[in-house]
Amino acid sequence: MIKLENIHKYYGSQHVLKGIGLTVNKGEVVSILGPSGSGKSTLLRCINFLEQPTRGIVEIGDKRVDAESASKADIVTLRNSTGMVFQQYNLFKNFTVLQNVMVGLTSVKRVHKVEAKKKSLEILERVGLTNRLSHYPAQLSGGQQQRVGIARALALNPEVLLFDEPTSSLDPELVDEVLTTIKKVASEGNTMLIVTHELNFAREISDRVIFMEDGVIIEEGTPEQIFNHPKAERTKQFLGKAIRTK
Amino acid sequence: MENLLDINFLIESIPAIISRLPITIGIAVGSLILSLFIGVITALIKIYRVPVLRVISSIYVSFIRGTPLLVQIYLVFYGIPKIIYYLQIQYGWLQSADVNSIPPEVYALVAFSVNLGAYLSETIRSAIESVDRGQFEAAKSIGMTPAQMMLQIIFPQALAVAIPNLGNMFISTIKDTSLVFIIGVIDIMGQAKILGSRGLAFFEVYIGVSIVYWILCIVVERLLVLIEKRARRYERGIAS
Ligand SMILES: Nc1ncnc2c1ncn2[C@@H]1O[C@H](COP(=O)(O)OP(=O)(O)OP(=O)(O)O)[C@@H](O)[C@H]1O
Ligand SMILES: [Mg+2]
Repeated sequence: MIKLENIHKYYGSQHVLKGIGLTVNKGEVVSILGPSGSGKSTLLRCINFLEQPTRGIVEIGDKRVDAESASKADIVTLRNSTGMVFQQYNLFKNFTVLQNVMVGLTSVKRVHKVEAKKKSLEILERVGLTNRLSHYPAQLSGGQQQRVGIARALALNPEVLLFDEPTSSLDPELVDEVLTTIKKVASEGNTMLIVTHELNFAREISDRVIFMEDGVIIEEGTPEQIFNHPKAERTKQFLGKAIRTK
Repeated sequence: MENLLDINFLIESIPAIISRLPITIGIAVGSLILSLFIGVITALIKIYRVPVLRVISSIYVSFIRGTPLLVQIYLVFYGIPKIIYYLQIQYGWLQSADVNSIPPEVYALVAFSVNLGAYLSETIRSAIESVDRGQFEAAKSIGMTPAQMMLQIIFPQALAVAIPNLGNMFISTIKDTSLVFIIGVIDIMGQAKILGSRGLAFFEVYIGVSIVYWILCIVVERLLVLIEKRARRYERGIAS
């Protein structure tokens, strides 16, 4: 389970997150929608402290961290229990596919090489990339790279997987293979928080959808509630516009 | 009949010059290794804006760049023994060090490391900063410590970027080591000088030594190309 309490983030004087509270239960898949600049990425990045929240509490599993008193060890613990999938994939360029997935196990979790390799192969099998083990990221398509990105995040067995627009950099014809992989990962019972502009995908995969604007959560509910019966005027406008421009 | 060159003397001098090649290569390679440490540390100090150290390291870089290498060699050669002696008399430190028994090669190594380190600092800093931010973020996101992130992800990628520059500076350093005879190191240049004055054939031995430097630099350039290829192997092409 992951719980955010009253998260605030300022960049200088710009108030980007204005007291976000959010709970994601074990096994739940939650999507975050919202216009550009509303703070979706910042929120995800505050969870694993890639951005330091200015105020607030992040709780993952039994680890509870207050942003204002977070130590380096606290931050490492949070990062160990989260896996992040980036819009730009961010695979380690100097590592092969297999090394990208293994490194978290061998370096961070100190798992023995043999066992780490076995586990990594298992995960790569799940994302369908066992035939590319010794390729470097530069030798893969965007879709393949993002599937490795997902495998790398899965390898540490995180409490929660954070996806920040995982398909936004992909050529249209490669989006489906990645969405299919994410759906598969979701169906395996992983806890997931997904920022996406793929509305149909969000609708299909999510247990709950959150609509965010200007640093606050405007509305949240089941996909049915948000997409078919949105309450807030802004949600209606956003979904209406997004659907029209599709 | 007057010859322009005593070819026989030239040819005979070459093996004797080559016999001192380990000194030249030792000083060049040794100071490359030490200066890489200096360069990396000063680059990180600058990147992470470490207070105080940042000022010290930028004064160091500026001083080295702003003074002749020859002067720096003299400063090390005369300065270090004086400082050690002072510490012994004044504070009773370093009692076991015998200043007079330090071989000149050690001073040469120190001087060249300090010199090259300052030049590498900027190159290494810009190479580290050229690594995509996403690489840092991904490393942090899986819980790597800063040291793991640097050693496993960032430095290898920065090195691949920096090799051409590092290589040029290393080649300059090889040539600059010809200055070390002034503090009594007998490198290939020192050996040439000795042979030259013994046979009164300076032109011949300097031709000899320049051929040795030239070949050495060509070999190093070739090696650098191979090393660069290896360091950048992940950037393109199809893995087997
Ligand atoms: N490092 C930063 N420094 C200063 N301002 C930032 C920084 N990162 C984000 N911001 C600002 O914070 C606000 C929220 O940005 P964020 O990237 O979280 O939005 P987003 O909802 O993810 O948008 P998008 O859909 O375009 O990705 C924006 O106004 C952005 O300009
Ligand atoms: Mg974003």
